[in-house]
Amino acid sequence: MSRAGIRVYLQVYKTQIIRSMTYKFEVYGNILMQSIIMLASAYFWKALFKNSDTVKGVDVDTMLIYTVVSAMISVVLTCNVERRIMTSVDKGTIAIDMMRPVNVFGVFLAEDIAGITALVFQNMLPILVIGCLFIKLPTPAGPAHFALFLVSLFMAFWINWLIACMFGMIAFWTLNMDALIQVKKHLIRLLSGSIIPLWFFPAWLRNILEWLPFAYLYQLPLDLYIGKYPVSSAQCQRGLCVQLLWLVLLTMGFLFLQKRVTSKVMIQGG
Amino acid sequence: MEQEKVVIEVNHICKQYKVLKKGEGIKGALKGLVTRESRLVPAVDDLSFQIKAGEIVGFIGPNGAGKSTTIKMMSGILTPTSGEILINGMDIQKKRKEVVRNIGVIFGQRSQLNWDLRLGESYELLRHIYQIDKAQYEETLDVMDQILGIKELLDKPVRQMSLGQRVKGDLVAAMLHSPDVLFLDEPTIGLDISSKYALRKFVKEINEKRKTTIILTTHDLADIEQLCDRLIIINHGHLMEDGNLSEIVNRIAPYKTLVVEYYDEYAPEHDKCELCFHEENVAKYRFGKKEITAARLIEELSAKAQIKDVSIEEAGIDDIIRVAYGQ
Repeated sequence: MSRAGIRVYLQVYKTQIIRSMTYKFEVYGNILMQSIIMLASAYFWKALFKNSDTVKGVDVDTMLIYTVVSAMISVVLTCNVERRIMTSVDKGTIAIDMMRPVNVFGVFLAEDIAGITALVFQNMLPILVIGCLFIKLPTPAGPAHFALFLVSLFMAFWINWLIACMFGMIAFWTLNMDALIQVKKHLIRLLSGSIIPLWFFPAWLRNILEWLPFAYLYQLPLDLYIGKYPVSSAQCQRGLCVQLLWLVLLTMGFLFLQKRVTSKVMIQGG
Repeated sequence: MEQEKVVIEVNHICKQYKVLKKGEGIKGALKGLVTRESRLVPAVDDLSFQIKAGEIVGFIGPNGAGKSTTIKMMSGILTPTSGEILINGMDIQKKRKEVVRNIGVIFGQRSQLNWDLRLGESYELLRHIYQIDKAQYEETLDVMDQILGIKELLDKPVRQMSLGQRVKGDLVAAMLHSPDVLFLDEPTIGLDISSKYALRKFVKEINEKRKTTIILTTHDLADIEQLCDRLIIINHGHLMEDGNLSEIVNRIAPYKTLVVEYYDEYAPEHDKCELCFHEENVAKYRFGKKEITAARLIEELSAKAQIKDVSIEEAGIDDIIRVAYGQ
């Protein structure tokens, strides 16, 4: 990409950060909701671990760290791209978006990264502070674990964004998908390990989930952070490999759909 | 003359839409879930014309005639089913990115401004998207400020703007990258008189100052009368008329109307014209320009009844539309 091209997306990024500052009320609401979920899960784990030191090889402190870090990861995995596509298609402005000499999905991506940047300050830091004060200081298992966690989180961001973006593309075929978005959101919540770690699930379900992309949004990065498996273990390597595989598959799917969607707009008009 | 350069060339374009057939009632709806039958509906059928640099062309036609579809095809949003469109000699399908840099589009019902931003911030984003350098951007903005007084709006959030202000904002947004061609799809829809006036002034001035070629669709006949050198009438996706406004009037509605007020209710007939309206003391005669002159008609009518007052109505765009749409 040319330098001038990158500058376009940088400007989109800057502009979007300005926009994110507009909605203060939403930000406070989000912090409140995240904190409640986080505190509730923390007390839930404390109660559960009362009679035993470890469950499935983890102790209560690790579980509390898991809870705080999970809330922080949810900030990195926020994206607006599905709604953005849906409203653009619904209002017909998608035609104008696509008429400009830039890649419209590049613009959506820049907007989402900007949104996350704003949320790191508006949401993640407050959650970290509340987590430290009321639950536990979330220290990673070790430097190697933390490094792998960052790699895995980076891939998790992409997997999440690509799923959301392709999901949003459904809007080109069926217009209203509010309900679908809700279903997807709750499925991810349940099947990704964001609230309940997948190790607590029955083995048959766990075996299935290990091959679905959801576990690679929360479960794998969290496992790496708390040091569930040693860095050199087979589980660790296999996890990262499957995550990478999903990233590649989803990227290919995205590129395929992007072409079809563009021609779809060209045929139907906004 | 340099103005003779052809900017837009439309060759035999057709556009068909796929429309899903839906059955009636619950049974039909259930059937629709399983099988999808569709049929093709032609929206534009074999349309060809050329537009030269610096022209202001009015596109008119009843709702559903294919105006918007044509505009969308010319601005690269829609792909024609067949036929080709050349802008500055480039095929819009093949060199879309290049062509799009030379086009500005305004849809009356859709804004391209960002709701959450101040106007100036939206422009700054567009400046980067079209890679306009700062000096040129400032210059364009100065010109726009003279025409529309846009600078006082730059710091205002778009959400707080009135419709009139937003349309001004949209006009400038479409002109920031100094396109050669500007498409306006029903730009005056919903605007009050003063905003309409501002819009028309804008169109005229950018056409004069920047030699921008302008294509607009409208249902407001005053737009056409005040702005357009040339008129293209479409109906059912076909080209009905193409030409100069007065030329079309002369060809398809070559008559004037004489309105006569008499002292009493009797209105005499005349064999060279048609008495098309008569109520109380007022009568209207429609006569062909070649058949008889107005002076002669008044003279002959006044011989038959006493005339109090007369006026002459020129056949206008309304008449053309009535004739053309009626076909």
